[in-house]
Amino acid sequence: MKKHKRKHRFKEQFKGCKKKQETKDGRIINIALAGNPNVGKSVIFNQLTGLSQTIGNWPGKTVERMEGHLNFLGHYINIVDLPGIYSLSTYSLEEIVSREYIVSDEVDIIINVVDATNLERNLFLTFQLLELRIPIIIAINQMDILRKRNIELNFEKFEEIFKVPVIPVVAVHGVGVHQLLEEVIELIYHQEFHPHRQEHKTKHWREHQHSFNMKSIYHQLESKTSFKDIYKFPDLSSLLLFGKEIEYKINDLWKQLDNRFINPNQYSYPSRFLALKILENDNEIIKILSKKKENIKIIESAEKFRKELEDYHGEDISTILSSEIYQNINRVLDDLIIIKSKNEIKKETITDILDHITTHSIFGYIILIFVLIGIYLFTFTIGDFLKGLSEDLYNNLSNNIDTDTNLSKILWEGAMGGFFGAVGGVLVYVIPFFLIIEILQDSGYLPRAAFLLDKFMHFLGVHGKTIIPMILGFGCNVPACAGCRIMETEREKKISVALTSLIPCAATMTVVMGLVGRYLGFNYVLILFGINFIVILIVGRILNRIMPGECTELIMEMHEYRAPNTNVIMKQTWIRSKEFIFKSLPIIVIIGILMEVMYIFNALDPVNLVLSPITVLCLGLPAVTGVFLIYGILRKELTVVLLGGLAESMGLVSILELLTPIQMFTFSLVTMLYIPCFATIIIIAKQTNWKYAIQISLMEIFIAILIGSLINWGYYLFTI
Amino acid sequence: MNNTITKKLKHVERQGIPLIRCLTQCEKNEVLLVDSVNSGGNAKNRLANLGIIPGSKIIKKKIAPLKGPLEIEIKGSKLIIGRGLASKILVKCPKKCQSEI
Repeated sequence: MKKHKRKHRFKEQFKGCKKKQETKDGRIINIALAGNPNVGKSVIFNQLTGLSQTIGNWPGKTVERMEGHLNFLGHYINIVDLPGIYSLSTYSLEEIVSREYIVSDEVDIIINVVDATNLERNLFLTFQLLELRIPIIIAINQMDILRKRNIELNFEKFEEIFKVPVIPVVAVHGVGVHQLLEEVIELIYHQEFHPHRQEHKTKHWREHQHSFNMKSIYHQLESKTSFKDIYKFPDLSSLLLFGKEIEYKINDLWKQLDNRFINPNQYSYPSRFLALKILENDNEIIKILSKKKENIKIIESAEKFRKELEDYHGEDISTILSSEIYQNINRVLDDLIIIKSKNEIKKETITDILDHITTHSIFGYIILIFVLIGIYLFTFTIGDFLKGLSEDLYNNLSNNIDTDTNLSKILWEGAMGGFFGAVGGVLVYVIPFFLIIEILQDSGYLPRAAFLLDKFMHFLGVHGKTIIPMILGFGCNVPACAGCRIMETEREKKISVALTSLIPCAATMTVVMGLVGRYLGFNYVLILFGINFIVILIVGRILNRIMPGECTELIMEMHEYRAPNTNVIMKQTWIRSKEFIFKSLPIIVIIGILMEVMYIFNALDPVNLVLSPITVLCLGLPAVTGVFLIYGILRKELTVVLLGGLAESMGLVSILELLTPIQMFTFSLVTMLYIPCFATIIIIAKQTNWKYAIQISLMEIFIAILIGSLINWGYYLFTI
Repeated sequence: MNNTITKKLKHVERQGIPLIRCLTQCEKNEVLLVDSVNSGGNAKNRLANLGIIPGSKIIKKKIAPLKGPLEIEIKGSKLIIGRGLASKILVKCPKKCQSEI
């Protein structure tokens, strides 16, 4: 009972999601997970937090924020999974967001996840994180793979050199994950790190941890903003030392900075880190500093130093500093790695063969096409099955309900019809789609697609990465447009969003297959796709021309294939679906209900009249279709559903008696192109801005009317 | 700075073959060293962070069809780099192969 109560209180605390959260039992410990992309960060995150996760956006940014919480032996822990980054520079939005978050008061401890199989590159970020002087625990993941290669790491030495806890982890099997949390508590209790306590603490940790008097620590913490204020950060100056000429300059700037401020912590970054970043010409830091007049002198002297260094080394400053860090890494790496036997096993593994085939110049493209068809088939087979179930349920319920009076009609057909429409029309496709996308992402196929299509995408004014959201777009445009956040620059994001919103999604496919595929034959479906493809090409070319700036080049890591982790996939699918159910579905349901109600009262009939110049004159369609197209903005497949309903109510055998083949073709084409659906427009606005979202919508309406009229009038003139 | 360039040039003349080539010109699976990256600001910064710095070992692994991007191996990880950028990465033979020539 007591436990239950506490849990409830805990939940309440989280609802507000305040900066500093406290419970009676103690303060919540805030952990940030940082690391390179694809090191198993999200696996560790999932192991730690289970299903208690929320996805949101970083305030004001389009970067995804994953947050979860757990109760570990009575300690409340809040974990934020930072986006995967390679360094703490300002190359991408992810890096800026991560850096700002790490130094904010909201973080007590960082867990830096490091891939054991690629230590050199991963430690680059670790070295930069150490500069931030925040309590840090290094988790070395994928130790099992390293051990298979007959390589072992000297963890004692590791801790001795880095002076922080270093924990071996095999995230996929959950090995060492628990120990990470123990280490967090231990670090907070002792407020500094003592090496050589490894054996004693792993064996008897549970026994003696009860003697930890955490209350006094929590009490101490409450008066401070973050744990880092009371943590005694070890002296790492010998580890992080740059070359003499650079170190001299950093020290000079450091002193200048420290002399200026009475409170050196006012920028939340440590002064040495600030000095380093000013020297590196880091835009964000300089922007913050140059707000104050007295700092301008420091920036000027940094500029002078930078010039001197660049002249001396004959390289630019970022290369010099990166080389220095890599040199430091290589200096310690030899001490850390123990090669057990030299004969490394080198045979072609299945992943190598897979990699070879999927990037092959012929088979690669064939597989790509199969993957696209696979996404469709998977989403449709499962989605249709679920849709059938939801329709059966609705029909069964309808039979038992009397819908004679107007009120019950509104309540039942309006509200429930709208609800079931949203569930049966959208949700059933979204869930299997999320599932297949998670599988594709987790297995590592998507970078291969980017590799194969980079050249082609350059033609459209973006680089190969765009293919990832575009592939997602075949299932549903909504998550796909949200996925455009991976693009580095604003220009690329805008073009990608526009192109992605033109990809025919599963709902559009229902229309095309249900009308053209069913009545006119598959050849015409292919023609429709061809037209859609050409439209994407032309739009891409035009946007490439009119958008200011230049197309940047692709830089992307190609990590190895791996068997998707069922646990992670299931959890991710559930969490993304949950997000959709609670955030997007209500809007769709409400609008669905409104439309349903208006439909019952024929309130939208005047719309037909208003739209008739376009529908009848330009597109050659019957006037009734006007209102269907309006409904289609909500969900594209509604157009064909309503069309079928109309034919039925008129007592016609098939839609063919309602529409001529050419009308059917135009109608499908217009449905395909005329506007991104309502949910997509909202997402586009979130990713860019409302102005751009409306611009895209208007552009697509124009394109649809233009091509529709061309086909209609072309056919008309041709047959006469 | 000038000094280093003339040194490099002398080296090239002595060998009779171009010792410094751009990444797009060299053979697949050839072990090379990065000489310099001649692209501007942001991309160069990113490449440096990923370990493409003068002196590091680089291997060209794959080329995408139709003159597409390259896959390279650097510091134990594989990267895809657009062709335009790859042509700005200059590479040289490691010392071993220089002495063989």
